[in-house]
Amino acid sequence: MQLTREEERILSDEQGWANRTCMKILVRLGELFGAEKLIPITSAHVSGISYKTLGDAPIEYLRALADANAKVKVKTTLNPQSLDPDYLIRKIPIELRNKQLDILKQFDKMGLTESLTCTPYYLGKPRRGSHMAWAESSAVVYANSVLGAWTNREGGPSALAAAIIGKTPDYGIHKPENRQPNCLVNVKTELRSETEYGALGIHLGKLLRDKIPLIQGLQKDSDQLKQLSAAIATTGMTNMFKAGSITERKETERIEIESSDLKRTIEELNTASGRKPDLVFIGCPHCSHAEMKKIARLVKGKKVKRGIELWVCASCHVRDTAKDAVKQIEKSGGHVLAGVCTVVSWTEKLGIKTIMTNSAKTAYYASTLSKADATLKPMEECLKTALQG
Amino acid sequence: MKPVTLKGRVIVEGHCQAEALVSLKPISFLGGVDPADGKIIEKKHDLCGMCIKDKILCFPHGHGSTVGSYVLYSLAKNGLAPKAIVNQTADPVVVVGAIIANVPMIDQIDIKKIKTGDTVEVDACKGLAKILKRKEN
Repeated sequence: MQLTREEERILSDEQGWANRTCMKILVRLGELFGAEKLIPITSAHVSGISYKTLGDAPIEYLRALADANAKVKVKTTLNPQSLDPDYLIRKIPIELRNKQLDILKQFDKMGLTESLTCTPYYLGKPRRGSHMAWAESSAVVYANSVLGAWTNREGGPSALAAAIIGKTPDYGIHKPENRQPNCLVNVKTELRSETEYGALGIHLGKLLRDKIPLIQGLQKDSDQLKQLSAAIATTGMTNMFKAGSITERKETERIEIESSDLKRTIEELNTASGRKPDLVFIGCPHCSHAEMKKIARLVKGKKVKRGIELWVCASCHVRDTAKDAVKQIEKSGGHVLAGVCTVVSWTEKLGIKTIMTNSAKTAYYASTLSKADATLKPMEECLKTALQG
Repeated sequence: MKPVTLKGRVIVEGHCQAEALVSLKPISFLGGVDPADGKIIEKKHDLCGMCIKDKILCFPHGHGSTVGSYVLYSLAKNGLAPKAIVNQTADPVVVVGAIIANVPMIDQIDIKKIKTGDTVEVDACKGLAKILKRKEN
């Protein structure tokens, strides 16, 4: 790799352990993937925040970085944590709470903004064509595909290293030639809900591996495309899709999607076989402003059934800018939780064994990460169940 | 015996000599290795129950969550890290882990040539793995 004099200096600086380690991570990864140089980034997004998914291993490394005075050089946001400061914090054992707080403290010292969301793009939309270093696979696919910003699918440690250096190795999807579709997907059935978009993603992710699909048959609804992004990243390595119409390109691999493919995928994700849910959950990925308003409209004047919890998860930013909707949802007995989601929280410790959701990603992870069965239905049906039982 | 020298690529510099622990299966450090005692805990792994501490750990590549990088750091802090890592094909999780844990690492080595119990010298400044002594049967 060609490094600038400044980059070389950081790499050989015996004094600055934190910067040297971060630079080494970027350079070695760059060499591994054939990058020729580092390029500046406009933002970073770091995953691996929840103590539930992290465990103890990373805390020492994060503390060592923070104590060595590492500071981020670009705007850097954080993924959701394992609890929210209003509701779940009261239900979780104090030792777990303290570990979570300790993790946040280390990030805070390094200058990461406490955004705690998987939808950092609602806090500030990245510019089209800007280079970034984002972890959180659902946001990566959404950024590349819907927003037109450019980011590889980083891991937690490499995104943090990029944030501290302010650069990322120039490989993969940062190269225009690697952003061209190399697989055609013809959706032969009408996609009728966000759940079907999610099912399409789960099904496609498995088939595509790391290919970039050109998908014919998508609507331009950004919340539905958000579900597709999250699901496609759940089962595959794909970090981008394109929506459009297929022109004749016979030599390219072609995948036909029948309604039976979606039906089968949804059936496989529905593991609760119709049992009443303990939790109805909307907000994976975190809700947009429009989704908050829609939920508020659907629950208005009704009450959540006794024995069922309704969680609506969003970033603090969206919660604070949708105050009326929040008030309405809470008046109906739902909980609007900021900075957390079921996938990375301790739902199993709260006795939640069945989760109903409109998110294919949540349904996919329910059995392993949440030790729960799942029911996957569109938002309207989820809320109907929460209100009627 | 005459030492057998295998040539690979430098990932993290360093120099050491130790007994090899070899698996032809990928290793996930998150959930696969216990950071408290350095033992492999992945149930279906052929090295399950073995301790990686102070070994030349040879495996094809890593897999699984990027949190695995942090597990390698934790192992090193607890004095339980391998002496060196020798991979067939380095992957980002193990590379980042070896960098932050400062464990010498090389890749592009035909690990099938190394057997568990062999005495191996790793010159991770030159990207070399030398089999000095075969395990005595």
